[in-house]
Amino acid sequence: MLKSSDRKISLVLIALAVGYLILSYQLPPYPFVPVDSDLMPKALGYLLIILAIGLFFSGKNESEEDKQENATSKSELLVLLTVTAMVLLYIFMLEVLGFVIVTVLFVFFCSWFLGYKNFKVNAAVSILFPVILYYIFNYLLQITLPGGILPF
Amino acid sequence: MNAMQGLLQGFQIAFSLEGIMFVLIGVAAGTLIGMLPGLGPITAIAIMIPMIYGMDPTLAMVLMAGVYYGAVFGGSTASILLNAPGISGTVATAFDGYPMAQQGKAGQALAIAAISSFTGGTVSVVLLMLFAPALASVAVSFGPVEYFALMFMGLAAISSLSEGSAIKALISGVLGLMAVTIGIDAQTGTPRFTFGNANLLEGIDFLVVALGLFAIAEVAFLVKNRNDDSLSKTQNIGSLKLTKKDFKEMRGPLLRHSPLGFIMGVLPGAGATVASFISYITEKRFAKKPDEFGKGAIKGLVAPETSNNAATSGAFVPLLSLGIPGSGTTAVMLGALLVLGINPGPLLFQDHPDVFWGVVASMYIGNLFLLVLNLPLIPYIAKILKIPRPLLISLVVMFCIIGVYSISFNVFDLYLLLIFGVIGYLFRIYSFPAPPFILAFVLGGMMEQSLRQALTISNGNFMIFLESPIAIGLFAVSILSFAFPFFRNRKEKKAN
Repeated sequence: MLKSSDRKISLVLIALAVGYLILSYQLPPYPFVPVDSDLMPKALGYLLIILAIGLFFSGKNESEEDKQENATSKSELLVLLTVTAMVLLYIFMLEVLGFVIVTVLFVFFCSWFLGYKNFKVNAAVSILFPVILYYIFNYLLQITLPGGILPF
Repeated sequence: MNAMQGLLQGFQIAFSLEGIMFVLIGVAAGTLIGMLPGLGPITAIAIMIPMIYGMDPTLAMVLMAGVYYGAVFGGSTASILLNAPGISGTVATAFDGYPMAQQGKAGQALAIAAISSFTGGTVSVVLLMLFAPALASVAVSFGPVEYFALMFMGLAAISSLSEGSAIKALISGVLGLMAVTIGIDAQTGTPRFTFGNANLLEGIDFLVVALGLFAIAEVAFLVKNRNDDSLSKTQNIGSLKLTKKDFKEMRGPLLRHSPLGFIMGVLPGAGATVASFISYITEKRFAKKPDEFGKGAIKGLVAPETSNNAATSGAFVPLLSLGIPGSGTTAVMLGALLVLGINPGPLLFQDHPDVFWGVVASMYIGNLFLLVLNLPLIPYIAKILKIPRPLLISLVVMFCIIGVYSISFNVFDLYLLLIFGVIGYLFRIYSFPAPPFILAFVLGGMMEQSLRQALTISNGNFMIFLESPIAIGLFAVSILSFAFPFFRNRKEKKAN
């Protein structure tokens, strides 16, 4: 069982290395240098294949406990995926709606979704932090965060 | 005589009212920003750059230096309490610092870190002052062959860093080296592995990888364990008091790693990250009880923490005297110097001696401030543990996004951040160590450059690497450190 998880990974790594090598061999040559830009990538590609083969045949370093500790149940995976989707939405909307609005919404709903039920504190934190940070960055540090649809 | 005059002049600047004020501001701001999980010195310095426009160059450098070592110090707090190092330089601090915190000894761990940082920083500033010219000339004599050997050794060392499998550590390192080949090749201008995407031409920013692999992956685990209230149980960070036995145990590593860290900081390309890893490894190698490392060994905390702060001051030697940044952070510092209209290099000593000596003198004061500020404030600092986990998760994500966006102003990098977060999470699930990846990523670019420079000098002949005695020595050390974990495994097998 355990060996098989390492073996699956090693196959994925070999596939990755082969893809990387194919791209390395397609790099256009640059005629005026004794060593070209493909030297390091090719070396790395072959090195990864060797190491992945080594991993395929070793696979002894994980104990049963580690495995169980790290196993993710289906419901937990769903929570993780939902948070990931929220972050994706956050990034996607950042330059559309602007930093303040998106961050307020993200911090509030993400905290709420993860089980923080103190609405007053949650609302205060999720509004204060983005607004203060936005002010500091845009007006004190002159690092412009996306303003979006808000006029200031 | 010249040096004495310079130092006196430096102390005049550092002890002026403005000097003290800017040291204080820099140290405090650096500590606070560095402490926030996911935010390190690179972000801290980058955030401060807009503030120094039009400032007096010496005072601006004093401020930036304060931010730098303040952030390294603050980063170790985040490493110990949250296992979320903001920078690669404090990754090794978490190896034994975090287990200590989990055992309810967070207070002691923080106190040990504060004392180690102070010692490493102060010893290193003395060395910086005494040996700056000599050490700088040693580093000058290094050619690409020696640089390559040095960085190769740094990467070889990581194979013995991992607790589990050496092969997995090596794979992690190779993947890191691969990630850094993305982008335009600096020597030939050939775009590599960019898939025609203009956003990838400049390569992937270190901050994206660091925040993704560590902070975002940590968020994923925080999400998974959000109902585990062990963090709120450690609300009481425990006593700060250290016993005589603790001090006795600290003395050896403090003495050993202050100079070692300094030397590693001076060598360009090494810096705080390599220094802390190498210190951790050597301390573990020579320890009487190496099994205790990773489970909250005091020596395992003192070694990297002394070393990374010593390296922080050491990194100023090549930056100021040669104009070569030794790390990503000092590269950002270089950017700050250029903003101020100062070209660091050998001419700096002639044209702006006040800048060099002002920074040196301010470092003495800054390190003292760090200790005085942080020891009494540790209980308050530790309140970060009381933040409810759901809020902490949302806020860390927010800080990561701000950090990346304020460096690149590009949404594409935010998607990359998420991708590296997923990679970091998968790494941890399948027990691949992430530190080799980040170390390889930091060193990879320079390593490839020096490899190809060396081969260009020799017209493609690999024998050039065996012509330098220094390089041969470094390669020998590398091979030994490759071999060591395999022998160890074999021994364990036999024992079983």
